[in-house]
Amino acid sequence: MDQWIIASEFAEVAVSLDTDANGPRLRVEDLRGGRVRYLDALELESVVWLSDERVRELLDPSAGRWSDRPADG
Amino acid sequence: MTVQYSELIQPERVHGSLYTDPSIFAEELERIWYRTWVCVGHVSEVARPGDYVRKNVAAQDVIMTRSADGEVGLLLNRCAHRGNLVCEDRRGNSSSFRCPYHGWTYRNTGELLGYPYNQGYGGKNKLELGLGRVPRVDIYQGFVFASFAAEGPTLKEHLGAAAGELDRLARLSPEGEVELTAGWLRHRAKANWKLLVENETDGYHPQFVHGSVFSVTGSPIGALYSDKSTAVTRDLGGGHSENDLRPEFRRAARPMGWFGTSEARVPDYVAKMRALHGEQAEEILIEGAPHVMVFPNLFIAEISVFTIQPTAVDETVQNVTAVQLKGAPEMNRRLLSQCVGSVGPAGMLLADDSEMYERNQRGMAARRPEWLDIRRGVGRERIDENGFRIGAANDETGMRGFWAHYRGLMEEGAAQ
Repeated sequence: MDQWIIASEFAEVAVSLDTDANGPRLRVEDLRGGRVRYLDALELESVVWLSDERVRELLDPSAGRWSDRPADG
Repeated sequence: MTVQYSELIQPERVHGSLYTDPSIFAEELERIWYRTWVCVGHVSEVARPGDYVRKNVAAQDVIMTRSADGEVGLLLNRCAHRGNLVCEDRRGNSSSFRCPYHGWTYRNTGELLGYPYNQGYGGKNKLELGLGRVPRVDIYQGFVFASFAAEGPTLKEHLGAAAGELDRLARLSPEGEVELTAGWLRHRAKANWKLLVENETDGYHPQFVHGSVFSVTGSPIGALYSDKSTAVTRDLGGGHSENDLRPEFRRAARPMGWFGTSEARVPDYVAKMRALHGEQAEEILIEGAPHVMVFPNLFIAEISVFTIQPTAVDETVQNVTAVQLKGAPEMNRRLLSQCVGSVGPAGMLLADDSEMYERNQRGMAARRPEWLDIRRGVGRERIDENGFRIGAANDETGMRGFWAHYRGLMEEGAAQ
């Protein structure tokens, strides 16, 4: 399994193509937090088409990991 | 007690306390470094959206960024929450910065995107805080300049005649652009920043300080600064000055002679330049790059670009990189190797100069005599056809121009 590490001083993520399922998907692992998320083709396409505003919302620390509400997933 | 700069800066001498007094250094930060235009870097260092590099304006830690819409900006590296550095790496690519202390996250435009557990602040978007931005950023020939003063002279006004020297550098590129993409070396010297500035266009020292290098390499550079040289030192006004070596290069009339090479060694480059410029290519190839000190901190020594960063009254960091000419890979390899050889970690010229700066600083701890002399060439200065004061190649004309401008800035608006 080819794996790429995409890292900066702010985050470190391992990205690889997962083929264990019935169709291919992207495996994304937060190497600092240990959490893994799989993104299928449609989800990836949606990420590509997200507005900058939506991406900014994703970058809000309170939007996920450090939310006052329990994280989804 | 207020410093009386008119008493410390005279036409032919300057007082030693200007290099050693911490209160003068503190005043310089406010009146020069945080008021005029200071060179921070070059647009080519942040070529892609999300690129960032850490820079300094004196003691200010600054992040140069390129936003998604392509704009180059300068952010202060200080979290709006508790003042922590939001950026640690020297360079990278990220649309956003996340402070490691409490996770506050900012867009690379400085906008606050959010903070963890936001209910503590009453919810999302409740704080109107962001990273500080340098009030004015402007770019000339790709060189990025910063001014912490919201108002004042424009960059073009600040650069004045020195802008023409940046044009001269850019025209050496077959695509008309310089790139500073070779990476920067950082040299720390235990010396006041003004000693470095003065040295940059001091044509009196090369034959002594660099004599051993010139003798073993057979370099012709020393002769450019001899009393027989037709080269001149020019006060460009605004504290800027240059060693104009063109008269000597024109006399030799040898394309690429300014670079110590021949056109046969860089045939692709020369061919590109001739195709682009036609007959004018000969002038460009013969005259070469400038040797100019742009007040207060940008020094271009033909093949190398320096930015000077004062860190204390007796300590200065000198950042240096090789000039790279867009569209000229053949030249760029040679420019890089020559730059490394002269001012790299084991660079022969920089090692010589650094020793001199530091000896100067140590020597000035002695209390007598109190003054440093800058009169060389006063009696033979003249005004050139463009109205600039010029002296011989090894005269202190540039230093006197620097000090006249410095005095004006330090006295400007001061209580008398």
